[in-house]
Amino acid sequence: MRRRTAIRDMIIFAGGATLLPSCLTRSEKVSIPLKKLKITVAQEKLLAEIASTIIPQTDTPGAKEVGAHLFALKMLDDCYEKTDQEKFLIGLAQLDDNAAKRFGDSFLDCNGKQRQELLESIEQNKDVSELAHFYEIMKDRTIEGYMNSKYVMTNLVIYELIPSMPYNGYAPA
Amino acid sequence: MPELQGDSVSGRTFDAIVIGSGMSGGWAAKEFTEKGLKTLVLERGRDVKHNVDYPTTNMFPYEFDHLGEIPLDEKKANPIINRCYAFKEDAAHFFVKDAEHPYIQDKPFDWIRGYQVGGKSLMWARATQRWSNFDFKGPARDGFAVDWPIRYKDIAPWYSHVEKFAGISGNKDGLRELPDGEFLPPFPLNAVEDYFKKHVSDKYPNRYVINERVAHLTKPEPIHLEQGRAKCQTRLLCQRGCPFGGYFSSNSSTLPWAARTGNLTLRPFSVVHSVIYDEQKGKATGVRVIDSNTKEMIEYFAKVIFVNAGALNSNLLLLNSTSHRFPNGLGNDNGIMGKFVAFHNYSARISARFDGLKQFKEVGRTVGGGYMPRFRNIFKQETDFLRGYACGFSAYRSRDSDSSGVGVSLKERLLHPELEKLGQWGVGSHMMGETIPKETNTVSLDTSKKMLGECLC
Repeated sequence: MRRRTAIRDMIIFAGGATLLPSCLTRSEKVSIPLKKLKITVAQEKLLAEIASTIIPQTDTPGAKEVGAHLFALKMLDDCYEKTDQEKFLIGLAQLDDNAAKRFGDSFLDCNGKQRQELLESIEQNKDVSELAHFYEIMKDRTIEGYMNSKYVMTNLVIYELIPSMPYNGYAPA
Repeated sequence: MPELQGDSVSGRTFDAIVIGSGMSGGWAAKEFTEKGLKTLVLERGRDVKHNVDYPTTNMFPYEFDHLGEIPLDEKKANPIINRCYAFKEDAAHFFVKDAEHPYIQDKPFDWIRGYQVGGKSLMWARATQRWSNFDFKGPARDGFAVDWPIRYKDIAPWYSHVEKFAGISGNKDGLRELPDGEFLPPFPLNAVEDYFKKHVSDKYPNRYVINERVAHLTKPEPIHLEQGRAKCQTRLLCQRGCPFGGYFSSNSSTLPWAARTGNLTLRPFSVVHSVIYDEQKGKATGVRVIDSNTKEMIEYFAKVIFVNAGALNSNLLLLNSTSHRFPNGLGNDNGIMGKFVAFHNYSARISARFDGLKQFKEVGRTVGGGYMPRFRNIFKQETDFLRGYACGFSAYRSRDSDSSGVGVSLKERLLHPELEKLGQWGVGSHMMGETIPKETNTVSLDTSKKMLGECLC
């Protein structure tokens, strides 16, 4: 038992040790391991704020808090063609350019209302641009990651492994 | 379960050898061991013990790396297996990957395989309808293919034997084209399925929509409880392996039953190379097995050798079992082995919307749905094609989900699906038909390529 505790402590310590240098050197390391995508810390932060604008924190956590933007990144990394990944990153940069054109600030420096306005204008402006492509993937995957997060599935919209209600094909609508 | 003993021939001699542990191998094992025969079941893949080796069975969606989706690289590496609807992150470990056991396709053919104890009985679609005399008499009537050597009455008691043990839910519908069986209560139909059922029978005298008969325990009988199985909880996660044994699989039912007799020896990682033919005795006396871990070839002997390796691998195994007496494969004097391959065609689908019965919706989950037994060419040849096809039929109430916009209002809509507006009912059907055997449909050994000493095809 004592040996197990010692091993556990060692793992925690080792984890701390590997974290430390990256903090000191400010190495550009994102929060999750990615196989193909090269994402900067700044891009990750931008994605987190976009996710947060799509589904904000209220009295319950939003998409950023449950890590839905990291889920979107993981899906982009593992489940999309290279061309989709390239368009996604171009679109992400275009979003920041749009923020600058529209509000004179980067997306991160915009206030909540401006951020929301910007995303809604992208959504309404359905075209074939990289920006629209980026937005479609980001929004769908953010919603998917949020709705299927442990927090939402265990606290808000409960997922039951075993359904508690028997099937009724004549339930009143 | 007795351990395999040493290297002595007597330690490698059994009363019966069953090749394959899937649907039919599991049944063979049960029947032999119950009758007191010391039985060796050979399985080419790994062991999958009921409940012990279902790693994903109780996982929540968020515990999967990609919420169930197969990553793109894996899809591209497995174009064949990726066409199977059940090949998802939660059950991918039960499917043979394309590169694991490749085969040459002269024409496209999706060979979906599960190389493990239980085989595809773990991931099957669980629909279990009987054949009728119209099916057995098909070749005799239209002259196409070979007449069946049996008729419905010969097989009916065996249908009952299997159904009682496996547990099949359904209604007694009294149809000649789809005989009744030994049924547990059916899963109920919903409002639109019932509506469709009524209108089809009103408009078409010989067409029926019934509750699909499926191998699920809706109300377990003592024989099912004795197997250690329990009522189906309608989790709809069947392909992961069911902790309740709610649907029938070799793993949850026949194999543990066989093991309890003390007469079963199950040997996984055992690729059967060929059946041994004894030229002096004029009999098949055993099998040559390649242990896929040690690559060693071992011979096992028995009076009874039952080939349950699935349709294609059973043919290939017999083709590979050559001897002086049978140079073209065991029992292949007529050269037919590997030819006339017929398949269950189930690829046609249709869907539609139904603008009515909006006062109803569905609550909960269900397994069944509707089923239309074959209605073409039953009493007389009435179309320009032979035989017929059956259809699955199911309906669901759609939702008009509104995920437009962003921000608090979107979040509220997402978190309150109960406030969503309901859409129309959607209905869907898929057709499945008998493919008629043709000599040109063949499977053969590619003697130039070998894997584990076994020829590829």
